[in-house]
Amino acid sequence: MIKLIEKIEGEAKLNFSFKDEKIDFVTIEFMSTRNIENILKGKHALDALVINPRVCGICGHAHLIATVQALEDCYEDLKISNKAKIIRELTLNFELIQNHFKWFYLTLLPLFGHKQQVLKATYPSQLMAKAIALFGGQYPHTSYTIVGGVVCEPTEMDIIKLNHYIDETIRFFENNLVKTDSNSFLLSDKIDKFLEYEGDLITILQQIKEDDMLALGKSYDRFISFGENSYFKKAKSIKTKVNDSVSIEYVKESDIPSSFAKSVTFKENYYEVGPLARAMINKAALVKDSHRKYGDSIFSRILARVCETSQLLAHSKKLLERLDLSEPSYINPNVDISKINGSGTSAVEAARGSLIHKVELQNGIIQNYEIITPTQWNLSGGTKKKQGVSQKAMIGLSDTKTAELVFKTFDVCSVCTTH
Amino acid sequence: MIKLLWLSGITCNANTHSFLNYPFIEQFLNDFEFIYHPVLDSSYTLQEIVSNEIECDVLLIEGSISPEFQRADVSIEDIIRKYAPKVQKIVTVGTCATFGGIFSQSDYKDVTGLHFDKEQKNQKFENLFDKTISISGCPIHPEILVNTLYAIKGDIALRLDNFLRPKEFYAYTVHNGCVRNEYFEYKVDAHQFGELEGCMFYDHGCQAPFTHASCNKILWNEVNSKTRVGLPCFGCTEPTFPKANLFTTKKNMGVPENLPLGVGKRVYLTLAGITKAFKIPRLEKKLLDD
Repeated sequence: MIKLIEKIEGEAKLNFSFKDEKIDFVTIEFMSTRNIENILKGKHALDALVINPRVCGICGHAHLIATVQALEDCYEDLKISNKAKIIRELTLNFELIQNHFKWFYLTLLPLFGHKQQVLKATYPSQLMAKAIALFGGQYPHTSYTIVGGVVCEPTEMDIIKLNHYIDETIRFFENNLVKTDSNSFLLSDKIDKFLEYEGDLITILQQIKEDDMLALGKSYDRFISFGENSYFKKAKSIKTKVNDSVSIEYVKESDIPSSFAKSVTFKENYYEVGPLARAMINKAALVKDSHRKYGDSIFSRILARVCETSQLLAHSKKLLERLDLSEPSYINPNVDISKINGSGTSAVEAARGSLIHKVELQNGIIQNYEIITPTQWNLSGGTKKKQGVSQKAMIGLSDTKTAELVFKTFDVCSVCTTH
Repeated sequence: MIKLLWLSGITCNANTHSFLNYPFIEQFLNDFEFIYHPVLDSSYTLQEIVSNEIECDVLLIEGSISPEFQRADVSIEDIIRKYAPKVQKIVTVGTCATFGGIFSQSDYKDVTGLHFDKEQKNQKFENLFDKTISISGCPIHPEILVNTLYAIKGDIALRLDNFLRPKEFYAYTVHNGCVRNEYFEYKVDAHQFGELEGCMFYDHGCQAPFTHASCNKILWNEVNSKTRVGLPCFGCTEPTFPKANLFTTKKNMGVPENLPLGVGKRVYLTLAGITKAFKIPRLEKKLLDD
């Protein structure tokens, strides 16, 4: 039975086979590809900073940051100011936050029988877009970070404005998602106690409990994350055992016969990426307690994504305290990019998980470009014997409607997958 | 209630998300009904849209068009052919839908905008030319799309340019309203990235003086613009987007290849000579220093 899954930044087809009235296997098919990697070939390296955000309208900023870091990795000794690094990290945080609000109020609510709450999605996400625009000029599709730093020169007045955008977003979170002050929320470490709060997140989590859905959506309990910054770590977590010896060289992409998307493995195994993976690696107390009780289910996955929103808002405030505006925004690279021969790799944590870019340059011209997106990790299509992460999470369910719910808790991005 | 159908071709969905940045979205959704939208709840599913003929007033097309491209297993061209004759207006949302844009370089066959293949007019949908309005931009500015839709609703006749873009928004250049204008006018040409001062036109590829758009008049996200922060304009509202070598100004014998709209090379050189005679200390030093 084939079901067209809509409103996932595009569509995908899920082809279910049933046995004894339970889903026995499911294949995931993406029907198109734009082949941006080919578009990049032969282009000037810096043009990738303009082209790559256009991979995706909702997480294009992550593609920008991944691009600039891959290009900078082609240099042997390139200096970037701490200020530029912090500004890049901030704007990437803001993109993750706007995504998570949209996902919760536009994608998730209807799956639980509620109406979309458009204003609750757009109000905080617009504040975060303004925060990006302060540095980047606009959102979506800025190219404000270039090899050597960032193009902007923020002033103290900009930072005052920015603090207001962040504070207002925190206030929105506290008044809507979990009705308490963020400090107590961030210190919560017991999921049962946490459920005594009120708020839109709590309503959904309670509904999962009451409707007997706590066991839904479990997969391999195997997580990975490659992006590193002052908040996220590069590591994997097998159940709760965290190990930081992960290297991108063991990441492999392979074709799926039925789909335009490609599978991704780390050392031949499928891994879950995204907020739940990051929370497990960061040992975020509340998510860990939820995981201890309910495993890598939709409950923990939804909780992790919303918790991350609050954590990133708080962390952004801390980052701002470390920002020294007297440092240079941009340091002219000592070698012009047109003289660069070499290759570079980058990994950043995008809203949906690890995003990897690889580039090869010859005299500053792109010879080859590879992009591995987060959704590819979660939606890798395996065989019956070796299922992908989201495939495994859907097997055993008794209807396709529940399967769609489980599928969408991964926050699927079709346009990224069909880059 | 005006019924809208938002149809996606080959796209990155950024027009969809830029639209969600419209500040008064609740008001908009009270005044318009989406029979289908790629993110917002709508009256019908995509499956229903492609397999039935649903009543609709305005067709919004996002993304470039190729005869090979399908949405829900139906050719995008067939979906357009089904809905276009019935609607009152068609709006091409973004540069891809208008001119082909970035994805005209994708692997699909014959990728174009609805009426234009870059600057070239297409014959294919010529019968729809008179009912189309183009809102170019990569992505579109939400206010420009929304206000155009209100103009359609209110039966306001919009004056359009040769690419069917409302002059109200596209008669301006991105240069109009840029806070770096004086550095351009007096040819203070030493721009460095990461500074409040300087103009990106002379060395860093800024296309603002010859790009039709209101980015510095109707600010982005209500706060800023690319050129204001020090990022060159890449000409994303124009048929030629994206050009190559976007961070470098192409010059012949020291003269930028693309000059401000309507300015000839000879006049430019004369003017450049005169402006060079200005030595304006205010513009030579850092803006905020004593």
